[in-house]
Amino acid sequence: MADALTARSAFSCLLVAVGNGRGVTAIDRDGLGLATLAERNGSRSALSQRIREEFRIELPRGPSRAADGDVAFAGTAPGTWLAMRDHGGNAFAAALARSTAGLASVTDQTDGYAVLRLTGPMVRPALAKLVPIDLHPREFAVGSVASTVASHMGVTLWRLPDAGGAAVFEIAVFRSLAESFWHALAEGAAEFGVAIGRPC
Amino acid sequence: MSGSAHRLTEGGLIDRRKPLSFTFDGQSYSGFEGDTLASALLGSGVKVVGRSFKYHRPRGILCAGSEEPNALVELRTGARREPNTRATVAELYDGLESQSQNRWPSLAFDLGAVNSLLSPIFVAGFYYKTFMWPAAFWEKVYEPLIRRAAGLGIASHEADPDRYEKAHAFCDVLIIGAGPAGLAAALTAGRAGARVILCDEDFVVGGRLNAERLEIDGAGGAEWARQAEAELRSLADVRVMRRTTVFGAYDAGLSGARTFGALERVSDHLRLPAPHQPRQRLWKIVAARVILAAGAVERPIVFGGNDRPGVMLAASVRTYVNRFGVAPARQAAVFTGGDDGWKTVSDLAAAGIGVAAVIDARAEPPPALLTAAQRLGTRVFAGAHVVDARGSHGIHRISVRTGSRIEHLDVDGLAMSGGWNPCAALTTHVGGRPRWSEAIAAFVPGDLPAGMSVAGAAGGSLALDAALREGAAAGAAAAAAAGFADVPIPRWRTSEDSVSSRALWHVSGCPSKAFVDLQHDVTDGDIALAEREGYRSVELLKRYTTLGMATDQGKTSSLNGHAIMAALTGRSIPEVGTTTARPPYTPVAIGAFAGHHRGKEFKPTRLTAGHAWARQNTEVFVEAGQWLRAQWFPRPGEQDWLESVSREVKSVRSSGGVCDVSTLGKIDIQGADAGAFLDRIYINTFSTVPVGKVRYGLMLREDGFVMDDGTTARLGDAHYVMSTTTANAAKVMQHLEHARQVLWPELDVQIVSVTEQWAQYAIAGPNSRRLLERLLGGVIDLANAAFPYLACAELEWQGVPLRLFRISFSGEMAFEIAIPARYGDALIRALMAAGREFGVIPYGTEALGVMRIEKGHVAGNELNGTTTAADLGLGRMLSKKKDCIGRVLAGRPALLDPERPTLVGVRPVDRKARLYAGAHFLAVGAATTLENDQGYVTSVAYSPMLEGWIGLGLLARGPSRHGERLVAHSPVRGGDTEVEVVSPIFFDPEGTRLHG
Repeated sequence: MADALTARSAFSCLLVAVGNGRGVTAIDRDGLGLATLAERNGSRSALSQRIREEFRIELPRGPSRAADGDVAFAGTAPGTWLAMRDHGGNAFAAALARSTAGLASVTDQTDGYAVLRLTGPMVRPALAKLVPIDLHPREFAVGSVASTVASHMGVTLWRLPDAGGAAVFEIAVFRSLAESFWHALAEGAAEFGVAIGRPC
Repeated sequence: MSGSAHRLTEGGLIDRRKPLSFTFDGQSYSGFEGDTLASALLGSGVKVVGRSFKYHRPRGILCAGSEEPNALVELRTGARREPNTRATVAELYDGLESQSQNRWPSLAFDLGAVNSLLSPIFVAGFYYKTFMWPAAFWEKVYEPLIRRAAGLGIASHEADPDRYEKAHAFCDVLIIGAGPAGLAAALTAGRAGARVILCDEDFVVGGRLNAERLEIDGAGGAEWARQAEAELRSLADVRVMRRTTVFGAYDAGLSGARTFGALERVSDHLRLPAPHQPRQRLWKIVAARVILAAGAVERPIVFGGNDRPGVMLAASVRTYVNRFGVAPARQAAVFTGGDDGWKTVSDLAAAGIGVAAVIDARAEPPPALLTAAQRLGTRVFAGAHVVDARGSHGIHRISVRTGSRIEHLDVDGLAMSGGWNPCAALTTHVGGRPRWSEAIAAFVPGDLPAGMSVAGAAGGSLALDAALREGAAAGAAAAAAAGFADVPIPRWRTSEDSVSSRALWHVSGCPSKAFVDLQHDVTDGDIALAEREGYRSVELLKRYTTLGMATDQGKTSSLNGHAIMAALTGRSIPEVGTTTARPPYTPVAIGAFAGHHRGKEFKPTRLTAGHAWARQNTEVFVEAGQWLRAQWFPRPGEQDWLESVSREVKSVRSSGGVCDVSTLGKIDIQGADAGAFLDRIYINTFSTVPVGKVRYGLMLREDGFVMDDGTTARLGDAHYVMSTTTANAAKVMQHLEHARQVLWPELDVQIVSVTEQWAQYAIAGPNSRRLLERLLGGVIDLANAAFPYLACAELEWQGVPLRLFRISFSGEMAFEIAIPARYGDALIRALMAAGREFGVIPYGTEALGVMRIEKGHVAGNELNGTTTAADLGLGRMLSKKKDCIGRVLAGRPALLDPERPTLVGVRPVDRKARLYAGAHFLAVGAATTLENDQGYVTSVAYSPMLEGWIGLGLLARGPSRHGERLVAHSPVRGGDTEVEVVSPIFFDPEGTRLHG
């Protein structure tokens, strides 16, 4: 029975432009395939080799993100990465689990995190109201990753290459906190203006 | 008197083309852009602005900065009313409304002033001595009375309509204070390329450059400050933060970078904040290096009537004249202990204000000063002291004592200069002790926190050239220490600025009250009394007299008090010591610390994927930690919660119901050693669970008490998924991480929280299987033979992965279905649609709770940190074939005591009676004493199946006492209820319904 199931973004009905919209642009990354990749004991080099073959990506050691095409791996803890694939959905974790079988444990997180891409000329001042870490370009270079808190909510964020002359960040928050997170972000960024970008 | 008589026609940093109107106590006045409320009041001829704390004496304006003890007013009205605002830092805006406080019925005539007549009894220690007994009177009578009589302003009692926010900043060099030293430091550090943050509490940078007639490189001081600020703003990595007070120094991290708290008054200078702007912003600033350039505060002199309106600090008089174009007096006198006060003479004269006399405590002031005074026609009293100032609503006469001769002078203003106290508070917040400087007769920073340096007056270097030199050097050094290239250190030519700070604390033998702490009305007599009664240590003196304990934290008073104590006890000031300054440097509103975490935003809220659907079907939610869970789903016509909940229970047990159980913790456990890992975590065995099966497990803390329970399913050879209670989800995750990383790193185990990944619904009741068959349409065989109780499976449905578990909390045949959370909304709608023809209903946490009590399942009330597995009737689960966390300490004699309260069921003997959780068990007829306590009721519910109240409890030797009668004693609620001890399984004890 039942019609085809419809996925509902955690930010569904939440993202609304504020003020003049010029300072910060927020983009819902719903559908971004996400998976935790955790290496099995003793399989470090074999796993790196497998990822290199499969994705042409060198698994980063430490809190940084390496990407090729639509796939990226962000180091979140020793031997642990948040793997992501644009539009990968739940199928990404299943595929990654197959290709790393025996070398790593893969856990689907596509629905566990709600991810926003944030950019715009005032993205750093807006984020300074949320996260207690230094996002100055000298300190948080393109490809940096951090697990931290945003207004008392645990988040993982990373920096993508600049676009349109502005820094670009993606920030992942537990899905259930999407409304509280958006409220904190929008309230702080309101003075700069918030626009909602088209999903990419 | 017309307002203009108190304004100079030119000069200063006010814009005379931009008049601003404001009110004080309902009367209209006007000032100019660039004014503070204090300068606008003085410029309007208002001298009395408040009544004092204890004696209700009329008080005026003492200072021109944040150290002001007197001029506290209420700003704004209604919900925005702000009591205790210092008029000296309140920036004037058009339409500002202000009121004096601590007076009734009016400022001019205040009934509370009778306290002044009673002053012989309102001495130090008065409260301690008078309101000793009866003790019960403190809270109800004495304290409210004292607070009303000796209060300051009144809070609005309405919710603050404005927003407050928090922000974080990071820099190589934080510079606190934008006076000459701070600006010089920012210029060199900024030119070196360092990331610099320069904060100043004022709304104009420059500090005393704006207040004195000083020149740098031939330009006026204020003009030089403007140029410096412009250069700093042109540097990309320099941030100039005006209206920002760095109020506290806190811990340093491993890198050495230290955290500071700062308050930015974003909109305090506006009638209303601009759209989307907060009123105030609390900054946490992390700085690799910090330069304290916070300047110094001038000291008053303690003499008779020194609190009278019209008596002001000398440098503040210069500030009002030079910066604000205000004439604080028509005919003034200056009372000084050194050269510094004499600057006031020339500044007043230059502004055309008469200076009747200079009273210099030194027997022989420098001849050059005497010549200058002679030229101005100003009388000089050398080796003389002011002993009295008269005029309660503005002084009109002072008395000068030279030797034994007293002379009276008619003046309407008196500038006093007792020396300078460096603003060193931030050097002491993390444990540094100040050091006494004989050279300037003041405490200066002693050992500094790592990474901090001090420049200018804050370090005791009061003269302009020293401030610039030290600031430039400190800025360059800080930038170099942060890894930036050396820059040339500029040398600036400055005009003559001789500053001598000599001690002049106290004039003894005055005919009237001489105040030490103006805000708390502490007099020299109070200090003497404290000395006589033995409160000689500065810490005791402070608490006995309340010296320095007002909102100004004694900035203008503490050292004077300590100096008087030193003189009384024949000790030096360094021997007497000084009290410790703690954050905040100036008051910070609680709202700023709260930020946007108020009301519903007090903490983050977690919403399940099915929340939008639930919101369409009920308005009743309960907070479970941060989660919101539907509590019940009322139907039209239902009278109360009990009717709704009972209907839900009966529907589930007769047909079926669906409950959102997404909030339970879910932990993905993978790895070759996952089974062995779980065997060590749980008291029972999981390595033997077959793939496709679920087992109930119980885990202990290291101390042997129960930590949590839940089911764990085996999805593959090396893959389990554990469920935890909602309340303990994070704690269990931490526990497992600790076990994995610290206890047994050799085990190949990877764990990930998947609580958020999966939306999960329980489908319970006789029709649950039919509902799922209808929904899933043959994707899986759910017959008992294929999918029995405690089976689990992973499957794919409509292209979406699903997990199905046959587990039950209600005692009915039940399933739990999990789906990636993005489909959680779609699934709950599909479940309800599929269940409609069977009469399946949604049920909330209350019905869930009723059904688990009917079945005797333990939950949070029983897993309360004080119970063992045996206490819960689960002792037999403890495997003897393996070790696990908590096993050893669970074997402690006290935990094996057969007398321990153990799980039982209870029912009222009178089946219609109500039970209350928390009631204690007593033998029938036993006295209600602790010795007779036999345990307590942990959970109660009205059971619609048994048609009466039932409860679970922990009773000494409980399982052997079924059938016994006891009293459940609940003194705060229902009184005594006679109960019968029964099995904790009230409903379907054979468990036949479970298997369907």
